[in-house]
Amino acid sequence: MGYVAVTGGQQAIETANLLNQWYRLKDADHALEVTAIEKQMRHLVDRVISESGLYAPNDAALALKQAEGDPAEAAFLLRAYRSTLERNVESLTVDPGQMRVIRRISSAFKDIPGSQILGPTADYTHRLLNFTLRNEEAQAALKSVLQQLPKQDNPHTDHRQPFRKVADLLRAQGLLSPPNARNGLVDITRDKLTFPVPRSAKLQLLSRGDTGAMTALACSSMREHTAQHPTVAELRVGYVELTVAYPLASNETLSLGEVMVTEVETINSFTKKDNGDVQFQLGYGLTFGQNETKAIAMAILEQRLETDGTSPTHDEEFVLLHVDSIEANGFVSHLKLPHYITFQSKLDVLRQAQKLAAEKTDHQEV
Amino acid sequence: MMNKQRLSRILNACSLSLLKEITEQLEQTLCLQVERFPQTSLVMMKARDSVSDQPFYVGEVLVTECTVSFNQKFGIGLVVGEAPQRAYCMAAVDAAINAGFPILEQWRERLEAAEGAIIAERNAECARSAESQVHFDTMGAYNDRH
Repeated sequence: MGYVAVTGGQQAIETANLLNQWYRLKDADHALEVTAIEKQMRHLVDRVISESGLYAPNDAALALKQAEGDPAEAAFLLRAYRSTLERNVESLTVDPGQMRVIRRISSAFKDIPGSQILGPTADYTHRLLNFTLRNEEAQAALKSVLQQLPKQDNPHTDHRQPFRKVADLLRAQGLLSPPNARNGLVDITRDKLTFPVPRSAKLQLLSRGDTGAMTALACSSMREHTAQHPTVAELRVGYVELTVAYPLASNETLSLGEVMVTEVETINSFTKKDNGDVQFQLGYGLTFGQNETKAIAMAILEQRLETDGTSPTHDEEFVLLHVDSIEANGFVSHLKLPHYITFQSKLDVLRQAQKLAAEKTDHQEV
Repeated sequence: MMNKQRLSRILNACSLSLLKEITEQLEQTLCLQVERFPQTSLVMMKARDSVSDQPFYVGEVLVTECTVSFNQKFGIGLVVGEAPQRAYCMAAVDAAINAGFPILEQWRERLEAAEGAIIAERNAECARSAESQVHFDTMGAYNDRH
């Protein structure tokens, strides 16, 4: 379908932009501080950095302020900002197994080496609206929380040690399919997506996919394959160190700082090998920030895409072309823009069809 | 040994005041030249997927980078986030080290103290989370005990 551009409306558009600002501020006692959004809207910020594919929490908070809390618009703003920046380096390969963990759970085993740590979560919290937050004073509230937290028994114990992965333990017992090396490392921000896509491109696309879309697709997949209900072997949240090769000497590396990520490994189904052995198949999810539902959905979807089936979640074009927030929102919301000529042509076709139908009826009556 | 990995791990997380102190001393002693002013850029983060054991690109990380030179020796500052001052100071320190200036010897004690503080702070965060260590009982085991 061809599109015909429109022109004009400049003054109205400028006024509309100002009206947007007026509605943002007209009932505000004070302007939102970007730092407050970054620090107190953690999950929203994490969602935006994950869906934009750009780890920049402070800029994500700014984008959320500008977008008045719309995560899709904020992710769009960050993705646009990202396109203006240079990229000179890529990191050395991060091993999430070395994560500095603040949360680690397994729904497969109640006792895992290093034990389960609930960490910051509302998983076991009553969903009751907390009206006291209306008049919260930050420092007083923090003091109260610190007073209620358990006193640390031994502050000298080193808690930064990496935990061994649950999946590695299963693998050591021969219960998991061995790692399955797949074709090539692709960067979807630079390489054109052609189907079938390599595994690395699938993971990159899912990692920056839309939380809502991925959750809905994973949910549909679980409802369809109830006998193969996935189990979370391990979900961990924590910090990984970003390291790059030192550009001025080949034998040195530089630490750039830490990045918060969520990693999930799910046990999805059995697979039968040629010799008749049966083994579990793993699903893998890794996202920026603390995005647990999305990481689980990613693990479910990537595993579905790796296996044959007839449902939509086995179809990589269907899944991968629809889970990107910016793509999907852009395509749907572009319908708000003028389509006068295309609609006129539809009208013309309809009138022409009506005219032909009327002529045919007249001809038959005669 | 204070190699670049260890030093940058300290400098990207230590107090900015310590970094400024070191840099100010360098600026008074050496003729530092900014080759590339601090600017935000991207680093593509690559991670290992444990199913295939192969790397994939997770996404990009916003960083600040800066290049400083002294006596034709370059130094690089690279840090996660928008931190122009820190990137400049890290680049200045790196250039001084590459030019043979005994900065590590002079500041070793302070740098090691800063490293200890960073480790302690991170340890405290993990230790606080570890207080939520959980041991769920299945109802069968619970009923057997009670």
